[in-house]
Amino acid sequence: MNNSVHYWQALNHALDQQMAADDSIVVLGEDVGLYGGSYRVTEGLYAKYGEWRLRDTPISEGSFTGMGVGAAMVGLRPVVEIMTINFALLALDALINMAAKVPFMSGGQFAMPLVVRVPGGVAKQLAAQHSQRLEQTLMNVPGLRIAVPATPQDAYWQLTQAIHSDEPIILLEHELLYFTQGPLDDSLEAPPMHRAEVCREGQDVTIVTYSRMRDLSLQAASKLAEGGIEAEVIDLRSLRPIDWDTCAASLEKTHRLLVVEEDSGFAGAGAEIIAGLTERCFAELDAQPQRVAGLELPIAYNARLEAASIPRLNDITTAAKTLCDV
Amino acid sequence: MREPILMPSLSDTMESGHFIQWLKQPGDAVKKGEAVAEVESDKAIMDVEAFHDGYLAGPLVAEDTDLPVGAVLAYLVGRPEEVSETQAEKPSRTKQAASEKRPATENKSAASPETAVAVEKPATPSSSRPSSSNTTHVKASPYARGLARELGIDLSQLAPAADGSIHGRQVLAAALGRPEARLDDGPAYELQAMTPMQRAVANNMIAAAATPTFRTSARFALGPIRNLAKDKRFSLTLLLARACALTIQKHPRFNAAYTLQGLAQRQQVDVGIAVDVPNGLLTPVLRNVTEKPLNDLQEEWRLLKDRAMGKTPRHRLTPEDYRGATFYLSNLGMFSEVVHFDAVVPVGAAAILAVATVQDGVAEYTLSCDHRVVYGADAARFLHTLGEILDKPQTLLSGD
Repeated sequence: MNNSVHYWQALNHALDQQMAADDSIVVLGEDVGLYGGSYRVTEGLYAKYGEWRLRDTPISEGSFTGMGVGAAMVGLRPVVEIMTINFALLALDALINMAAKVPFMSGGQFAMPLVVRVPGGVAKQLAAQHSQRLEQTLMNVPGLRIAVPATPQDAYWQLTQAIHSDEPIILLEHELLYFTQGPLDDSLEAPPMHRAEVCREGQDVTIVTYSRMRDLSLQAASKLAEGGIEAEVIDLRSLRPIDWDTCAASLEKTHRLLVVEEDSGFAGAGAEIIAGLTERCFAELDAQPQRVAGLELPIAYNARLEAASIPRLNDITTAAKTLCDV
Repeated sequence: MREPILMPSLSDTMESGHFIQWLKQPGDAVKKGEAVAEVESDKAIMDVEAFHDGYLAGPLVAEDTDLPVGAVLAYLVGRPEEVSETQAEKPSRTKQAASEKRPATENKSAASPETAVAVEKPATPSSSRPSSSNTTHVKASPYARGLARELGIDLSQLAPAADGSIHGRQVLAAALGRPEARLDDGPAYELQAMTPMQRAVANNMIAAAATPTFRTSARFALGPIRNLAKDKRFSLTLLLARACALTIQKHPRFNAAYTLQGLAQRQQVDVGIAVDVPNGLLTPVLRNVTEKPLNDLQEEWRLLKDRAMGKTPRHRLTPEDYRGATFYLSNLGMFSEVVHFDAVVPVGAAAILAVATVQDGVAEYTLSCDHRVVYGADAARFLHTLGEILDKPQTLLSGD
């Protein structure tokens, strides 16, 4: 048990452990080899496992992600790093048309043990084209699984589980999470990859969130507690599939639902979460579910506008209070 | 505009009323607040008033019929032309329906809201307001509806929350027989969430309200014990707690709690003391007050009070610090206006002693008791012993 591991270190540790145990694991991506990854996730691995297992690729997301698909089809277990989700737009053909569909269209003859790691989200003034969150696009693709680890422990667990899985899995890693710290115990048994975590218990309102918004929601919950509102915070950990049971159990207790997402709200993850839970728990709802989401805007470069474009602490506490006031 | 005029609820218990007669005819202009009809509740004959300006439009319910609260009596429309439109649709329907309906309503229990109102339902499918049943007019959350169904609560009888909709909270309050204040009746307001402590105090008080309580008062000179407190530099509250504890020792029934299985007689005397803290009330408990040296108790009390007041953020008061006393003390003596008060006996306690301020050297002591545990004469004897101790407070020091 180590109490202060960086998120990137947890990923690095998982990769190192798995690569040491299984020769068929290879890493593909831009600057993943010699440079050690733009967020240090592959640091030290090039020296240890060599250039055949950590391939520095050209700046061509479509081709190296496609190469990952092909490698997975012929027996390797590739871990593809796409430098940011913004560049993954060029790899959507490989992800959506190939990775997600080959197992289905081949009648199961081909497994797809492909892991695609993608940093994303609003970081620090990277402007509109480098601040996107594309979970809504990927969530709508049957055949893909999407994990959104928010802590070093989850990053370690979920990358390890993804490597072991024969399904194509996309890990959405938030760029501002790489240098956050948290405990990591690699001896703990991992919960199922899609299992949501109740990271704070409360009986007044359920806040469902994921990725970097987990921490903000927990902060908001502490603030709310000062005013007498006990929020239950659920970190989904997985956006496809979604662990409805954990959310539904919470709503049976609180009867109030607030979704916090960094992505813009329209047709986003929150829309699916609210629809899915309304279908399952309609009779439990004591107030109309609410979303706190990013604004319907490209993200501005200006730091203040950037910060105002995505949920802030006050947005969450205000929404939760409104929900609980009635 | 087409607003229904509904059978009003004229008393808390009214479920249905007797419609006597119309005071207006279809097409008559009606001013807001003007009486349009007369109805009779279980208590009185009252006017049905219009909530808007407009014109009375049918279909009108028949006179001299019983109708459930919330039933549509007629409609108010914005323009005279709309009156004839509604009239033209079903010119004979109203009368016919009314005469058909009469036998049914004579048997009151057979006239469920649905049947009674359905007969009067206007045939226009495009009617902007649903009127098939009075409950469909009620805005309520899905959870509230489910609860109401399960608990057999009529949603139309509940006052909605601030947002105009009924929520689980209102249904539960009704089910528990604790109606919440009808906030719509007064001026505008803003809801403030209660702190966990305020909520806890409220819950404790609700629980305590079930205790059958009586009160007994006595007046004792405060001088001797106050002088002793000054001389020996003890807190007055502490000495009062000790005086109570020594009294309890002589009247052990005051150290018992009522349970369904019997009286739980405590083996040591613990005294809970009410402390006024910001936004709340705490009752830290001094343990074993008869046996410990006063100096130790003084130190314990200081620590408890600091914790209760939040002066030591790292050591907040824990439930072990404020639970489990069978006797409580509440001292408002520092408020020179308070010449008399009595306190609520907490659940699990036999009694609570309320100490008011000194007037002409004498303070009033009011003992509120759980009558399941102690009786009037017990309280009188308790106060007699307490008076003796307060008269000769040196006995408080014995054993030290």
